[in-house]
Amino acid sequence: MIANTLFGYIVIAMVLFSIGLLGVISRKNIFVIYMSIELMLNAVNLLFVALGTYHNDMGGHVMAMLVIAIAAAEAGVFLSLIIVLYRRKKSLDSDMFRTLSQKEAV
Amino acid sequence: MLWTHLGYLLPLIIVASGAVLLMLLSPVERFSMERFSLFTFVILLLALGVDIVYFGKLFTAFPMEGLFSKMLIVDSYSVYFDALILSGALVTSLIGTHYFQIKRHFKKEFFSLFLFSVFGMMLLVHANELLTAFIALEIASLSLYVMIGFQKIHDKRVEASYQYLVLGSISGTFFLLGSALIYAGLGTTILGDLGKALDGLMGKDVSLIVIGATFILVTFLFKISAFPFQNWTIDVYDGSPLPVTAFMAATFKVAIFGFILRLMLIDLDPIRDIWDTLFVVVILATLLYGTFLAIIQESLKRMLAASSIVHTGYLLIAFVSIGYAGESASSSIIFYLVAYFLSAMGAFGLISYIAADEHVRVTYEDFRGFAHVHPYMAAMLSVFMLSLAGIPSTIGFVGKFYIFTGAIEAGYTFLAVCGIIATFISIYYYFKLIALMYFYPACEKEGTMIPTLSGITPITIGVIAIAVIWGGIGNTFIAYFPGVDFLIDTARLSYMSLFIK
Repeated sequence: MIANTLFGYIVIAMVLFSIGLLGVISRKNIFVIYMSIELMLNAVNLLFVALGTYHNDMGGHVMAMLVIAIAAAEAGVFLSLIIVLYRRKKSLDSDMFRTLSQKEAV
Repeated sequence: MLWTHLGYLLPLIIVASGAVLLMLLSPVERFSMERFSLFTFVILLLALGVDIVYFGKLFTAFPMEGLFSKMLIVDSYSVYFDALILSGALVTSLIGTHYFQIKRHFKKEFFSLFLFSVFGMMLLVHANELLTAFIALEIASLSLYVMIGFQKIHDKRVEASYQYLVLGSISGTFFLLGSALIYAGLGTTILGDLGKALDGLMGKDVSLIVIGATFILVTFLFKISAFPFQNWTIDVYDGSPLPVTAFMAATFKVAIFGFILRLMLIDLDPIRDIWDTLFVVVILATLLYGTFLAIIQESLKRMLAASSIVHTGYLLIAFVSIGYAGESASSSIIFYLVAYFLSAMGAFGLISYIAADEHVRVTYEDFRGFAHVHPYMAAMLSVFMLSLAGIPSTIGFVGKFYIFTGAIEAGYTFLAVCGIIATFISIYYYFKLIALMYFYPACEKEGTMIPTLSGITPITIGVIAIAVIWGGIGNTFIAYFPGVDFLIDTARLSYMSLFIK
C-alpha cells in the first residue's frame, strides 16, 4: 500500500531528482544535460502536487503550474543556446567547448 | 488606498513596462542603439526618482493585499535595496554606452533584457514568499544568461553563457526542492507565516525544515559564489562582456543578499545557529581559495573576478554574525554591499572603457607605465584598487571596518583576524597593478589603442571615484551633507523596518 501514501510520492520524487542530478554530473552530451535538469524540475513538481493534496491546499498545485511555466522559459533559453553551440562546433559533446578552461586562458 | 499602494509598486511597474515597451519597439528601424540606451537610462532614472521618495522613511506594507495576498512586501528595507539595484543599473547603462557603441554585435533587444533583469532583481527584494522569490530569481537570471551570450560570434561568450545556465539552473532546482521541503514541513511558503509556524514547532523535530533551508542556502552560496560553488565565477566573469560582468558582480549580489537576509532574519531565526559551524568553514575556505585564485591570475578581469570571491568571504563574516549582533552586522552587510558595488563598478567600468577595443586582453603587463600616458585614468584605477584593498580614506576601508567590528562584537574574533589577514594578502594583487602603472617606464606597443577621455562614460567613472573617496573621508569636511553616516543610518532604519509587525 506504499503507492498511495505521501511517503511513496516523496520517495519517487527524490529518486527522480537524484537521477536528474546524476545525469547532469555524469553525461557529456549538452542536450542530455538539459533533459536531466528538466527531470529535476519535474521531480520537484511531483513533490509540490503530492504535498498540495496532502495539506489539502491549492497552493501546492498552483506552485506546480508556475514551475511548469518557468521550466518552459528555461527551455527556450536552453534550446536556443544548444543550437548556437551546435552550429559553432558541429558537436554536442561538452568536451569540445573548452575556450574558457583554465589551462588555455591563464 | 489603492493609489498609495500603486505608488509603492511604481518603481517595479515603471521598469517592467519599460522593458516590455523596449521589446516591442526593437524591430522598429527608426530608433538607433543610442536612442535605446538613452531610453533605458531615462526609465531607470524615473524609477529611481520614485523610489527616492520613500527612501529614509520607516514603514512596511503589503501592496494590494486582495490581489497579491502577502506575496509582495514594500518596506524601508526593500526601498533601500531597490535604490541600490537601480543605481547599479543606472551606472551600468552609463558605463556601457561607450562599450556598446564600439562593439557592433549588440542588438536593441539587449536593453529590454537588461531592464527585465533589473525588474527580476527588484522583485526578488520585494518577494515575501518562497516561490515568488524563485520566479524573481529566474527572471533576473534568465535575462542575464542571454545578456552574457549575446555576442554569439565569440566562442567565449556562448560557452560562458551555457556554463552559467547549466549551473544556475541546477542551483535553482535546489532552491525549489528546498521550498518544497519547507512547504511539506510547515504547510505554507509565505515568509511571515513561516516564522510563526516554526515558532510553534519549537522543541519538536524540525529536521525537514533544516534540510529544506540548507538547500535554499546552497542556491544562495552559489549565486554569491562562496566556497564549494565558486568555480563558475572566474570563467563566467571572464567570458561575459565587461559591462555585464560589472552588473553581475555588483548588482546581482545585492539582490540575493536582500532576499536571503530577509529570510534569515525573520523566518529562520529560531534555527539559525545550526549553520554557524558550516558557515565558519565556508568563510575560511572562501577567503583562502579566493585569495589563492586572485594571486595566480594574470588577466586583470580574472583577478577582479577572483577577488570578488574574497569579498564574498568578507560579506559572509558579517552574515554569520547577524545571529549575535543583529543590527550592527546587518547594517554592515548593507553598507559593505554599497562600498563593494562602488569600487567594483568603477574598476570594471574603467577596464571596459580601456578594453572596448576587442583585441586588448587587459593583462597586468598591458598596464606597464600606464600612468605616464594616461594619468587621469591611472589615478581613477588606483582609487578603485585602494578601495577594494580597504586602505583608509576610501569607502572600502569604512565597509571593512564595520564588518570586522560587527564580527568582534558577535564574538567571532577569529574570523575577523582571518579576514584582516586576507586583506593584507589582497594588497599584493591590487598594488601590483598600481606599482606597474606608476613605477615602470611606459613601453609603447603597437596595436593597443586606448581611447582618449571623452563622452559620458569617463565622467560617470570619475563621479564614482569621487564617491569612493567621499565615502571614506565624507562627513568630516562638510557637515549636513549626506555621507557615510547617512548611509549607515538608513541601513539601520531599513533593518528596523523588517521587524515592524
